[in-house]
Amino acid sequence: MSDSVVVPIERETDIVCARQKGRALAAAAGFLSTDQTLLATAISEVARNIVSYAGKGTVTLQTVQEGGRRGLSIVASDNGPGIENVELAMRDGYSTGKSLGLGLPGAKRLMDSFALESVVGVGTKVTMTKWLR
Amino acid sequence: MPVPVLKQGSVLIASIQAALSDRDLVELRDDLADRVGRHRSRGVVIDVTALDVLDSFATRTIRSIAYTAKLRGAETVVVGIQPEVAFAMVQLGLSLDGIETALDLEEGMALLQAREAERVG
Amino acid sequence: MTDLVKESSTQILAREMALTEQSVERRRRIVGLEPDDLARIAGIREVVLAQVDHFASVFFDYLSGIEEGRVLTNNRALTERARELKRSHLIAMVGGDYGRAYAEQRLELAVLYGRVGLELRVFIAAFHRLLRSIGEAVMKSTPQAPLEAFASFMALKKIAFFDIGVIVDAVVFERERVIRQQQDAIRELSTPVLQVRARLLLLPIIGVIDTHRARLITDSLLKAIRANRAKVVVMDVTGVATIDSKVANHLMQTVTAAKLMGASVIVTGLSAEVAQSLVALGIDLTTLNTIGDLQGGMDEAERALGYRVVSMDPRRDGAPLSPG
Repeated sequence: MSDSVVVPIERETDIVCARQKGRALAAAAGFLSTDQTLLATAISEVARNIVSYAGKGTVTLQTVQEGGRRGLSIVASDNGPGIENVELAMRDGYSTGKSLGLGLPGAKRLMDSFALESVVGVGTKVTMTKWLR
Repeated sequence: MPVPVLKQGSVLIASIQAALSDRDLVELRDDLADRVGRHRSRGVVIDVTALDVLDSFATRTIRSIAYTAKLRGAETVVVGIQPEVAFAMVQLGLSLDGIETALDLEEGMALLQAREAERVG
Repeated sequence: MTDLVKESSTQILAREMALTEQSVERRRRIVGLEPDDLARIAGIREVVLAQVDHFASVFFDYLSGIEEGRVLTNNRALTERARELKRSHLIAMVGGDYGRAYAEQRLELAVLYGRVGLELRVFIAAFHRLLRSIGEAVMKSTPQAPLEAFASFMALKKIAFFDIGVIVDAVVFERERVIRQQQDAIRELSTPVLQVRARLLLLPIIGVIDTHRARLITDSLLKAIRANRAKVVVMDVTGVATIDSKVANHLMQTVTAAKLMGASVIVTGLSAEVAQSLVALGIDLTTLNTIGDLQGGMDEAERALGYRVVSMDPRRDGAPLSPG
């Protein structure tokens, strides 16, 4: 239905690739440069989450339309170990790996909507959207 | 792609050229820690003008570069953070507490010189 | 000519609302319209077409019968236009084609309702009356098969709810447009960043600070810092009536962002009341460089930049004026 890009995330250089593609798609959708940067930063955080905890996964970028508004939706999914305590993971400063513990709650602050689904042993899926103003 | 590091007097200048990977950053950290000791540098300038994203990992690594340099006797200045990048960083909840910042390379060098003058008295 | 203008404004609205073939298809799916329904609607087509004028009258009679409906019915010219549109609406309702063009046609009436200020609840009540009388006619047309008739009427009702969806969205969209325009106007008026001297910016903040506005203030300050190569920013909050923890947090973010770009921020104009309430709330602003009033802040900023302000008037430079 609209532009969609799937970026495989397997190693850390893919993080750079994902955020560059995200920025390009955001620019094409009409986002201003400040919002492009917010989107690229949020993509960087969720992509790094995949590399750090699951090893590999995908980031899917898609321009979306709903009602009268347009936006960019980002889905980061992996088949990694999953997150045991989702509530705790969304708390500022919480981290089990090698990050600041700002990754997911930080990404949430950069976006308009954010959903985290995770099943232990099955995988994690982050779905987030930012709307054009 | 490794980050080139220039030596100018007692100051080391690392200019990050493009979107760099996590590994490049970690290598830069180790490289700078080594060179600060070898050259007895008094200052480090990290120029991030070309960076379009500074996420939590990059910020954490830059912070650890600055703290490591400090322990080895050098002051670090981060220069060239773009308006959009600074904006995204505060939205994300990131800051560079205790680390000097300046608008660009020129300002960063001036700041280090002023610090050095203070120190020498 | 006016028709042409009206038509194009409806088209613009359709575009702004992203009323595309795909989104209209989604709308059809939301009301649950299926091929079966189309066949049923075709079956009662003649019943509806036979009494189009009557059904339209039910709608407008209801409106003229209640206080809230007269904003429309008191305007003769617009009522005539609305009646025409309602007639073609009824014809299209049983026409079998419910694509983008059909949805777009619904917008003109929506815009008209919005223009006269007809409330949605009143429109919906009138539309309900109209549907009821269609329902009665359908039931009467096949008295021997009431269940069949009911199913056909329910198929048509899906179209009716599809229509209501489009109209409600359009009216809400138009209303939000006014709000958006006002917000834009306020925003532009209220976040000036002034260059006072080389490398010194003044940011007077006035009014209410919410998340959205705080972002805009930060955004324009950061761009101004880059454009003016600013080193010091004086942020005056005299015009901010209340500072709660949320506003304080926004201010802290603005200061932090400026700092990341190498500019230091002096905050002025925190009144005694505001300062006390911040302390009472347990909000820590001690990391901020605060100075009581704007003048003191400007003096401090100029000192930081190495300026020294000297009065050119010898009477005012040190020596007090003699009284009288």
